[in-house]
Amino acid sequence: MMKNFLSCICAMVLSISLPGGSTAASDADYQQAMRALTTNDYSSALRYLESAMTQDPDNLKYASEYRQAAIRNKDFDRSVAFFEKLAASRPQSANIHLNFGFAYVDKIPTAGSITQVILANKALNEFSRAVELDPNWINYYTRGASYLFWPKIFNRAPLGVADLEKALKIQSTGPRRSYYVKVYVSLGDGYWKTDQLDKALEIWRLGLKQFPGNQQLKFRLEHKGAELQDTIESSFDPNKRVDTDLRELWIAS
Amino acid sequence: MRRLPYKSILSLLLLLPAFGIPAAPRKAMPSSQQNESWFEDVTQKAGITSRHHTRRFDNPYAEIMQGYTKLGSAAAVADYDNDGFEDIFVTDSCTTCKNHLYHNNGNLTFTDVAEKAGVANGNDENNASSGALWLDYNNDGLPDLFVVRFGHSILYQNLGNGVFRDVTKEAGLDRYMNAIKAIAFDYDNDGYVDLFIGCYFQPVNIFHPSSPRFFPESFENANNGGGVVVFHNNRNGTFTEVTAQVGIHTTGWTLDLGHGDANNDGWEDLYVANDFGTDRFYVNNGDGTFTDKTETAIGFDTKKGMNVDWGDFDNDGFLDIYVTNITDDYMREGNFLWHNNGNLTFTDISRETGTYDTGWGWAGKFFDYDNDGWLDLYVMNGWVSAGKESYVPDIFAMVTRPGVDFADARNWPPIGNKSLSGYEKKRLFHNEQGHIFKDEAARHGLDSIKDGRGIAVADFDNDGRLDLFVTNADDTPNLYHNVLPTGAHWLGFVLEGTKSNRSAIGAQVRVSANGRTYLRYVNGGNGFASQSTTRVHFGLGKATTITALEVRWPSGLKQTLSALPVDHWYKILEGHSATLMQPGGNKR
Repeated sequence: MMKNFLSCICAMVLSISLPGGSTAASDADYQQAMRALTTNDYSSALRYLESAMTQDPDNLKYASEYRQAAIRNKDFDRSVAFFEKLAASRPQSANIHLNFGFAYVDKIPTAGSITQVILANKALNEFSRAVELDPNWINYYTRGASYLFWPKIFNRAPLGVADLEKALKIQSTGPRRSYYVKVYVSLGDGYWKTDQLDKALEIWRLGLKQFPGNQQLKFRLEHKGAELQDTIESSFDPNKRVDTDLRELWIAS
Repeated sequence: MRRLPYKSILSLLLLLPAFGIPAAPRKAMPSSQQNESWFEDVTQKAGITSRHHTRRFDNPYAEIMQGYTKLGSAAAVADYDNDGFEDIFVTDSCTTCKNHLYHNNGNLTFTDVAEKAGVANGNDENNASSGALWLDYNNDGLPDLFVVRFGHSILYQNLGNGVFRDVTKEAGLDRYMNAIKAIAFDYDNDGYVDLFIGCYFQPVNIFHPSSPRFFPESFENANNGGGVVVFHNNRNGTFTEVTAQVGIHTTGWTLDLGHGDANNDGWEDLYVANDFGTDRFYVNNGDGTFTDKTETAIGFDTKKGMNVDWGDFDNDGFLDIYVTNITDDYMREGNFLWHNNGNLTFTDISRETGTYDTGWGWAGKFFDYDNDGWLDLYVMNGWVSAGKESYVPDIFAMVTRPGVDFADARNWPPIGNKSLSGYEKKRLFHNEQGHIFKDEAARHGLDSIKDGRGIAVADFDNDGRLDLFVTNADDTPNLYHNVLPTGAHWLGFVLEGTKSNRSAIGAQVRVSANGRTYLRYVNGGNGFASQSTTRVHFGLGKATTITALEVRWPSGLKQTLSALPVDHWYKILEGHSATLMQPGGNKR
C-alpha cells in the first residue's frame, strides 16, 4: 500500500507539488487519525490531523483528509480557522493556500446566499495566492473551476477559461492522469458560459476521445438547449456540495 | 349522492337573471380555445389608471434608501358598501400622492371615490403609505379600513354612508411604526378580529433619521428590524398592544404575515416572512398565546421572505404555505412551498413542484383560475427595473468588504439608475392535480415585466371566475378579467359570523364533489402588499352537484348545510341556511 502510494507520489511530483515530505511523527499522527475515523471519532481524528499538518504543512493528503473529516463532522469553522492559522505561519506554502480556499468552499453549501458569496470570494483569494506561489495544474484547475461558479454579471468566466486552458496545456505535456478529464468538462462548461458553444463541443469531444465513457462529457455532447443548460447550471448550484476530496491525485492512475 | 328537490333548483334559476348571475353553466370549451388566453387586461377600460409613485426621501441617506424602499404599491379588496360588488383600495407612496378607493360600478368599471370617502390622504412628509387592510373591527357589518404606513398608520371607521372617519387615536392605534403589512384575525376566538402588524424598519424616523445605523445588520440573520406588533381588539372600538403577552417575539425585517389553522384545531396559527433572515412560525395555543415553533415546523432559514399565503394546494385537508424569496443568477435562494405534514411540521417541496424559482419574488397567491378544483398560484416579481447597468456588483463589492457594518446605511452603495432583478416575468402556475405546477403566464398574458408587488384576487363581476388586480411599483396597476371559457363549475360563499367575528375570518368551508373534499377558508389579508377577497370560492370542474357542505366557524360551531346548486354565490349567516347572494340588493 505504502509502496503504491510512494510510487504514485514519485510520478506525480514532477508536475504538481503533492504531499510534502512526511515525517515519521506526522505519519504516526495521520495513522492515528485514520483509526479514529473508522470509529467516527471525529474529534480525535481532527486533532491528530491538525498535529500532522502542523509538522508537515505542505502535505496535501493530510489536508484533504482533514477537510473531509471536517465536512462529515460539520466542523467548517474549525477547518477555516485552522487553515487560516496555518497560512499565517507558512504564507509561502501554495498547498496551504489551496486547502484554505477549499475550507471556505466546503462551508458554502451550509451558508446563506450572501455568506456564500463572501466565502466564495475568500476562497478565490486563496486560490489566487496558490497560483502565484506555484502555477501548477491543480492550482490552475481549481481557480479556473472556481471562477465558473460566479454569476454571469461578474464576468469571471473568461478568467476561468484562461486558467483552465493553462491547466490543459500543463496536462498535455505529461503522462495521462484519470483526473485530467475534469479540465475537459470544466473548460467546455467555461466556453459554454462564455457563449462559445462550438469550442465547448470541441473540447468535450476531445475529452471524450481521451476518456471514452466519461458520463459527464457524454451527457454534455448528447444534450442541447434547455437540458444542457440545466445540467451545466445545476453543476454550479452553490447549495450543492462540491467534491473537494483530493485523494484522486495520489490514488489515480 | 343526494338529489336536490327539483322545485328548489327551479326557483333558484328563476331568480338568477334578476341579479345578473349566470343562469346556466357555460358550455364546454371548444378545442380551438384550448390555447387562448383566459384573461383580458381591462385596466384602462375599468378606469383604474393611476400609477404608483415610490417615496423619494429627503435626508442624507436618500440616495441609498432609494434602492431599498421601492415599496408601498398595495391593494386591498372588500365590498365596503355592501352592494354585492368587490371594491379596491390602492395605495400610492410619494409625499403628495393620494390613495385611491375604486368603487365597483357593477359593470367592471370603477370610480375613484377616495376623496369623497375621506381616505385619500395617506401620504405626507412624515408618513408613506405602504399597505392596506379591510377589517370589520367593530362587527357592524361594514368593512373598515386600516392604511398601513411607514410612520403612523391610520384606522378609518366605515360610517356606512360612503364616508370614513379617522379613529386611529381613539382606537389606541396611534403609534410610530415602519409598518408594511397588516392582517386581522381573531386569535383568541372572542368574536372580534385582532390586528397583527408587520414592520420593516425598526420604529425610527426613517424620514429624518438621527443615526445612519438603521439598515439590516446582516443579510441572513438580521434582528434589528421592526418585527411584529399585535393589538388585541377590546370589543369596544379600542385595541391594546399585547405583542409580548401573546408570545410573539420577533424583531426581524418583517415583510408579510399570514394566518391559517395549520392543524385544524380551530385556532389560527401565524407565519411571519422576514427579509434578511429567519421566517417564524407561531402555533396558537388556544389560550390567547402563541408558541414559537419555527425550529420544528420549518427550521431556521437565512433567506429573504417576502410573501405568505396559505392554501390547500393538494386537497389533502391541510393548509399549505407559499413563501417567496430571492432567486436569481446571483442569489439562488428559492421559494418555499411548505407542504403541511399534518403534525405542525412542514416540508419544502418547491423544487419538486416547480415553484422554486420566481425571480425576486413578491406576492404569491393561491387561487383556482380555471375552476378545476386545484389551487393555482400567481406570483409577482422584480425589484428595480431601470437602466441596463446592474447593481449586483456594487452590492457584492460592499458585501465582500472585510468588517463592513451593514447596519450603517452609509456603507450601502446608491443604486442610481441601475437595475436589480428587474424586468422579470410574472408567473402563473397552473396546478396539475396537486403534484406539479406548470407556468402558463405567457399564454394568458399575465407575464408582465413591471415591478409587481401585490395581488388581490376577487370576482369583480360575480361570474364565478376569479379576477386579478395587480399592483406595480412606480407603475400603473393591472386588472385582469378572467374570461375562462371551459364551462367548469364553481360555488362561492360570503360568510357572516354571529357568535364568531362578523367577517368570519378564519372560518373553514369544506365542500365535497368529484369524490374529493375541498378545503377553503376566509383569510384576513394574507399576502404581500395585498388583501384578496374574504369570499370563499370553490372550483368544481365537471361536477354539477356537490355532495356535502360544512362550515367550521371560529366560534367552534360545525355547521352542515344542504347541498346547493352550483355556479352561484351564496351568503351563509352563522347557524343559518345559505341564501343566494343578491348583488345590488344588500345595500344598507
